[in-house]
Amino acid sequence: MTLAEGTQLVSFGVLTLTTIVAALGVVLLENIVYSAFLLGGVFISIAGMYLLLNADFVAAAQILVYVGAVNVLILFAIMLVNKREPLAPLKNAWVRQGLTALVCLGLFALLGTVAITTSWNVLPEAPVVGDTALRLGEHFFSDFLLPFELASVLLLIAMIGAIVLARREFIPDARTGDGDPNLIFRLPERPRDPVAPEPLEPISK
Amino acid sequence: MLKFLKQVGDYAKESFQAAKYIGQGLSVTFDHMRRRPVTVQYPYEKIIPSERYRGRIHFEFDKCIACEVCVRVCPINLPVVDWEFNKAQKKKQLNHYSIDFGVCIFCGNCVEYCPTNCLSMTEEYELSAYDRHELNYDNVALGRLPEKVTLDPMVTPLREFAYLPKGVMEPHDLPKGAQRAGKRPEDILEDLKQDKAAAAPVSDDKA
Amino acid sequence: MESGIDLQSSAIQLLVDLGLPSALAKVLWLPLPMALMLVVATVGVLIAVWLERKISAAVQQRYGPEYAGPLGVLQPVADGLKLLFKEDIVPDRADPWLFTIGPAIVVIPVFLSYLIVPFGQNLVVTDLGIGAFLWISLSSVTPIGLLMSGYSSNNKYALIGGLRAAAQSISYEIPLALSVLAIVMMSNSLSTIDIVNQQADHGILGWNIWRQPVGFIIFWISALAETERLPFDLPEAEEELVAGYQTEYTGMKFALFYLGSYVNLILSALLFSVFYLGGWSFPIPVNTLAAWIGVSPDVAWVQVITAAIGITMVLVKTYALVFLAILLRWTTPRVRIDQLLNLGWKFLLPVSLANLLITAGLKLAFPVAFGG
Repeated sequence: MTLAEGTQLVSFGVLTLTTIVAALGVVLLENIVYSAFLLGGVFISIAGMYLLLNADFVAAAQILVYVGAVNVLILFAIMLVNKREPLAPLKNAWVRQGLTALVCLGLFALLGTVAITTSWNVLPEAPVVGDTALRLGEHFFSDFLLPFELASVLLLIAMIGAIVLARREFIPDARTGDGDPNLIFRLPERPRDPVAPEPLEPISK
Repeated sequence: MLKFLKQVGDYAKESFQAAKYIGQGLSVTFDHMRRRPVTVQYPYEKIIPSERYRGRIHFEFDKCIACEVCVRVCPINLPVVDWEFNKAQKKKQLNHYSIDFGVCIFCGNCVEYCPTNCLSMTEEYELSAYDRHELNYDNVALGRLPEKVTLDPMVTPLREFAYLPKGVMEPHDLPKGAQRAGKRPEDILEDLKQDKAAAAPVSDDKA
Repeated sequence: MESGIDLQSSAIQLLVDLGLPSALAKVLWLPLPMALMLVVATVGVLIAVWLERKISAAVQQRYGPEYAGPLGVLQPVADGLKLLFKEDIVPDRADPWLFTIGPAIVVIPVFLSYLIVPFGQNLVVTDLGIGAFLWISLSSVTPIGLLMSGYSSNNKYALIGGLRAAAQSISYEIPLALSVLAIVMMSNSLSTIDIVNQQADHGILGWNIWRQPVGFIIFWISALAETERLPFDLPEAEEELVAGYQTEYTGMKFALFYLGSYVNLILSALLFSVFYLGGWSFPIPVNTLAAWIGVSPDVAWVQVITAAIGITMVLVKTYALVFLAILLRWTTPRVRIDQLLNLGWKFLLPVSLANLLITAGLKLAFPVAFGG
């Protein structure tokens, strides 16, 4: 085993470990902020995996899009809606957790069998790709043109939708039911007493 | 369409204007870089306070007649005058006098109104203390004279801008005996005397 | 282009000649450029801090640091030592883990980006095929660290500062990336080496600043915003937010933020000089100069001089840009947050898109001048 192979093996092990541990942390930790930060860790270690697979452009794109945009957006959402609310413990919570675990394990088993049973077409020697960005561009504009364009149309639709949602010019009227004292949007204002001068007493002479 | 084009044009014009103003600002700051630093490097260099500097107040105990005018003219009645009536002499006798410089605003009213000139302004401004009560000076502390900046061998005294010779901007390394621009008070007095002497015969003629 | 000096292969060759196996020689060589780059970045920060203090003083007609070393050059070292010896305080009810990791996440991507900064034909840690893109993607990791430290400080100023920093850095990343994209389009490569080589032909006239007159302004504004320099230093606006996300930090953790911001400034200036000012190329091509004198550019001593000139040119251009940033700091007042976002999204983004479009059109129309 040469030095390069050894380094690759060790990095693969470390990346796998961090991916699994961080992913478990995302799911299992109580604090949602920790989960969000660990999600960033998962994305970064997956980018490392891409690097090991000689896909440097994809790795950089993974960091840019998932860590730099998606994860930051998630964190923004969490921090702007930072409502620490003690959740009431559910009755029979184990039923839900058990069901979730069952579904997850089933999915894992399914993917595992697929991964094992498929006969992977492994090349004996990894082809050295010089300029990955160049090759990606070639593929995008030849055999992957349709998916590429469809993805861009999808993003455009999402963007227009976001703009339509954000540009709503009028805010729907608050419910006029004045009976609700817990209405949040009402600023309590002290009713002002009309300031009137005291009626002057006639000066007695 | 035309309206839109006009909007675009206006926007572009405003952007160029903004860029122009930022450029002008940059040229101003760039120009300031070649100007002389105005810093006085304080513990090593000190400005010589001007004649009318209103620093810590000096008090002469023996001149004071305990009339309390200083208290009355003080905006906050700050000076504390402790006296008792000496029946034998039929005079007020001053026991203690104090001014708290933590509270004093150095307006100089007490100095202005003191009938016996026992109060005066000094050029001392280094009134730092670890405890604000240390700034409450009694008559002994008030009677001390401040150290002159020009006599301190550790300090390079620097003249203020108005006391520099004509055309000189730099207070460091002035030639010895360099005089400030314009006439000194004693010169003005001298001139006045001469003018009077010159004017006197003329008035005699008229009379 | 000529290859110039290849330090790597000659150093490895030297070690092999000494009797080491070639794999070991490579391993011994590997950490050297990285360590050197770390040292260069840190020393660069010391110089930038000193420059900042001296130039700020000059602009305000003061002296600035005077007594620590000649002209106060050791002042940044003294500052660093002071921060090193300060007590490391984690505020009560702060989140100690996130509080500690936050500054590291801010600093590490910035230092990693130095991988792609070239000081000469072969004077670069790695000539990555995705060079410029690596910088953009790494700089997008920084907001996570800012959010982390802002959130974990348990302080409303820190939280607002962190949110502002993240919003600002996301907003300005897009025009920054688009202006870099125009450069990349002209040089047909993401590699920083190729981008410089494409500008190297006609001396000062070949630099991208003439071909991208709009792009370089967008790049500079966005770079200032990314590094939180003064017209855009809202995240740490001391009048309103105390110090933003740095409010609760002291000692070495604060020093990391401080270091990170200056390393980032120098990195932006370095990349600006690489993208727009021809990197290590002299205003008159060195080959032309050598031809005038009548020596071949392949002679060893000429190559050494060329490399020295290259490094000097990169540093001169970079510090000229740092100087400009410092001067801008004392010229322009801080913008409001709505003005900042307006400038980013409504001005820089459309202008940079139009710039990209025009560049693409010009590239098709005049492939000679715009990198066909």
